[in-house]
Amino acid sequence: MNYMPGTASLIQDIDKKHLVLLRDGRTLIGYLRSIDQFANLVLHQTVERIHVGKKYGDIPRGIFVVRGENVVLLGEIDLEKESDTPLQQVSIEEILEEQRVEQQAKHESEKLKVQALKERGLSIPRADTLDEY
Amino acid sequence: MFRYQSLEDCPLDEDEDAFHALGEEDEDIDQFNDDTFGAGAVDDDWQEAHERLAELEDKPATTGEQEDGTVTDEMDLLGDHEENLAERLTKMVIDNELEDPAIMQAVQTRLPVQHPGGLNSSIWDGSAVLRRIRGPLLTQEMPSVSVLDYALPQRPPQARDEERDLSERALPRRSSSPVIGSPPVRAVPIGTPPKQAAMPNFNQQILCPKPVHIRAPIQQRYPAPYSERMSPNQLCSVPNSSLLGHPFPPNVTPVLTHLQRAQLLGGAQHGRMSPSQFARISGLVSSPLPSMNPKLLQGRVGQMVSPASGFRAFFGAPPPPAPPSAQQQHPPCPGSHLQNLRSQPQMFRPDTTHLHPQHRRLLHQRQQQNRNQHRNLNGSAGDRGGHRNSHQEQMQKDSYANLMLQREKDWVSKIQMMQLQSTDPYLDDYYYQNYFQKLEKISATEEMHGDGPKKERTKLITPQVAKLEHAYKPVQFEGSLGKLTVSSVNNPRKMIDAVVTSRSEDDETKEKQVRDKRRQTLVTIEKTYSLLLDVEDYERRYLLSLEGERPALMEERKQKICDMYDNLRGKMPSQDRPSDDHFVQIMCIRKGKRLVARILPFLSTEQAADILMATARNLPFLIKKDAQDEVLPCLLRPFSHVLYHLPLGTVTSLLQQLANLPHNATALAPANLHLSAVLQNKFGLSLLYLVLSRGEELQSSDAATELMQDNQWTELMLMATRELLRIPQAALAKPVSTPYNLLTLFSRYVDQQKLNFIGPLSSGLGVLLPLVAPCNSLLYQREGKGGCTVTVRITVHLCK
Repeated sequence: MNYMPGTASLIQDIDKKHLVLLRDGRTLIGYLRSIDQFANLVLHQTVERIHVGKKYGDIPRGIFVVRGENVVLLGEIDLEKESDTPLQQVSIEEILEEQRVEQQAKHESEKLKVQALKERGLSIPRADTLDEY
Repeated sequence: MFRYQSLEDCPLDEDEDAFHALGEEDEDIDQFNDDTFGAGAVDDDWQEAHERLAELEDKPATTGEQEDGTVTDEMDLLGDHEENLAERLTKMVIDNELEDPAIMQAVQTRLPVQHPGGLNSSIWDGSAVLRRIRGPLLTQEMPSVSVLDYALPQRPPQARDEERDLSERALPRRSSSPVIGSPPVRAVPIGTPPKQAAMPNFNQQILCPKPVHIRAPIQQRYPAPYSERMSPNQLCSVPNSSLLGHPFPPNVTPVLTHLQRAQLLGGAQHGRMSPSQFARISGLVSSPLPSMNPKLLQGRVGQMVSPASGFRAFFGAPPPPAPPSAQQQHPPCPGSHLQNLRSQPQMFRPDTTHLHPQHRRLLHQRQQQNRNQHRNLNGSAGDRGGHRNSHQEQMQKDSYANLMLQREKDWVSKIQMMQLQSTDPYLDDYYYQNYFQKLEKISATEEMHGDGPKKERTKLITPQVAKLEHAYKPVQFEGSLGKLTVSSVNNPRKMIDAVVTSRSEDDETKEKQVRDKRRQTLVTIEKTYSLLLDVEDYERRYLLSLEGERPALMEERKQKICDMYDNLRGKMPSQDRPSDDHFVQIMCIRKGKRLVARILPFLSTEQAADILMATARNLPFLIKKDAQDEVLPCLLRPFSHVLYHLPLGTVTSLLQQLANLPHNATALAPANLHLSAVLQNKFGLSLLYLVLSRGEELQSSDAATELMQDNQWTELMLMATRELLRIPQAALAKPVSTPYNLLTLFSRYVDQQKLNFIGPLSSGLGVLLPLVAPCNSLLYQREGKGGCTVTVRITVHLCK
């Protein structure tokens, strides 16, 4: 049933598998069970998926209640296409390790960049201060 | 949470009754509701709802007497329940829940089920009935029944299990109805009232120092319809040996695994309990069990409210000597409680969340097998047989689907629709409205062309509410201390109480002069834009208005158009003829140019001509300023419309302006910088063509033109042509469009021979040649001086 023709309503998405990207960058995948007018979400059988390069890992998270304001984007997952992904699933430990390595590398390059800028008398605001609103 | 739980609600209820009595206050209360939740938020009659609920409460109220020890009373009442409740329930269901398929199903499947128990157990059956009802009924309020549940921590396992069966599938209780508004005062805590089954869960909570994350194992599917499932009773009767392969510790009774599973699966229900609830329950447990080791509780519950207070706070009753009737039914010696508490932790399957998913799946499968085994052993268990297949099918399907009931979905979309309510959709929802207008137009044209099947477009019809002006008066009760909250959705708290002081015009103009001229121009443009938007809306308003209002509307519109013109020209009342300076300033700004293009169609012919003239006069400057924006061509279309309405005289003077000649002067200027600048610009050349074409059209069509005017036009025409020829072709801009009559136009003035002759001399002719070539004879159709002069001059000039 179309609740609000000509508009998009989350209600039509209920009980479908969804991917939710949160404001802090986490990616959740689960069945959307319930919503409200604030786009607060209840996800069921949730996994948190971490992507690093071509690998990904799922951390089971169970039922996840997401406060609406933290949702960056959300979309239904095509169950048929879901399986034929070029990505390779690895274990949680492995993906966490990969993530750590990646973050470390990123951190290092960031540091270098800041230092290079500093030597040239420039400064960029730190990323985490930009986030605050 | 707390207020839903405590019996403190009772006095409040009385208060409400008092309100009832004072019928005249009803309106006020509705008003208050509207003030607080927005108009229409509390849709249905709260009073009615309250009465309905109050009726329900009769039962609980009397069950409350149980605590006073009136056993006989109790028996009667519960007997009553047994007989009537089903009936009443169906009635209620018919009243309220019919639209909910889930509920209907639940009622149908559940009601006919026989529950065991003789006379003695009638109380428990009674409450079992209650509970059974509550499972599917969810949305109905039975607050004090849940209180009863708290009060009776122990219950024969049968009743408990049966109920568990229900509550497992049953959805958590929600605020009473999807009608927008706050939950009713007496609403029971969100989530199923913690019935017996909550107890083990609670124990587990207590026994876990950290909050337990109850997760449903990912692979675990819900064995959905309870009617099809094996009841725990049956499970109980299964020989223990069949449980040997069970993944749980050997002392786990099937019932409890059942519970455990329920707890795992229905975690949401219990998860909704607030800490305070737990605290209360902990109190609840501890107070009838003074002998219980306090450390057990303290250690686990940690900082949660001291155990002793909970129960009393909750019931508002003296520390209850365990209800006599309850003791009769199932003598709960404190020791057994303790035993219960102690043994239960072991019974619980360890949290499986830490397990690898694969492992968990295995676990689950084994569990499933076991369950099936039970069923097989039990043979004719219930109505299982026929539904077996469908049951398994459902296992395959998403058994958690439709957790959100249809009415809840409706509720959410209702709220979302409420946000769309508006008194003037055109204003509040401009883009949506226009989008659909556009869509309709497209589909209309499609229909006109007759291609494709007619598409039905569904349009969201936003509810339109009449504008309600109502002064908000905060509620005041006489003799009350303090004030009730004043702010609400409709009357938000004022953050700033700013006073708008309007400054006098003089101050402003003075300040304006000081200010940057450009900023002033920008302000003018903005002001004019808002005028323009208003004017553009008049058509709509005109259609909506009543017959009588229309003249006034037209007058208003006219005035606004005049204002717009004055804004453009910077006309001061004192000045007779405004200088072009102001207009040029506006035309130097991109937004200003677009503004002029939009305003032109509204202006009267004279006003439009004036704008056109001013543009022509200052064209080279404007062209220079437009080099970056290149917005000027957007003016062409409105200009051509204006041109179409102008008489020859005006067109001539326009051409004069374009050529930058003083009025009536035909002096020969060797090189007209003004005109050449115009010709080298796309917009300038296009405009010139337009003007020439229009002039020629007028001249040829209108025979009665004066000779004087005619001559003037011819001379100007010639000059333009000459200039056109003088400029090298490469420098000429490419016009936006070439008027159709340009060919004949030029052919009149340029001789084939001369063209041929001058051709090699001036590459500029290249532009004209293709126009001229098809003409076999170049005629000086026009007799007289003008034509001759033209020829001569061309010759002279070109030969120089």
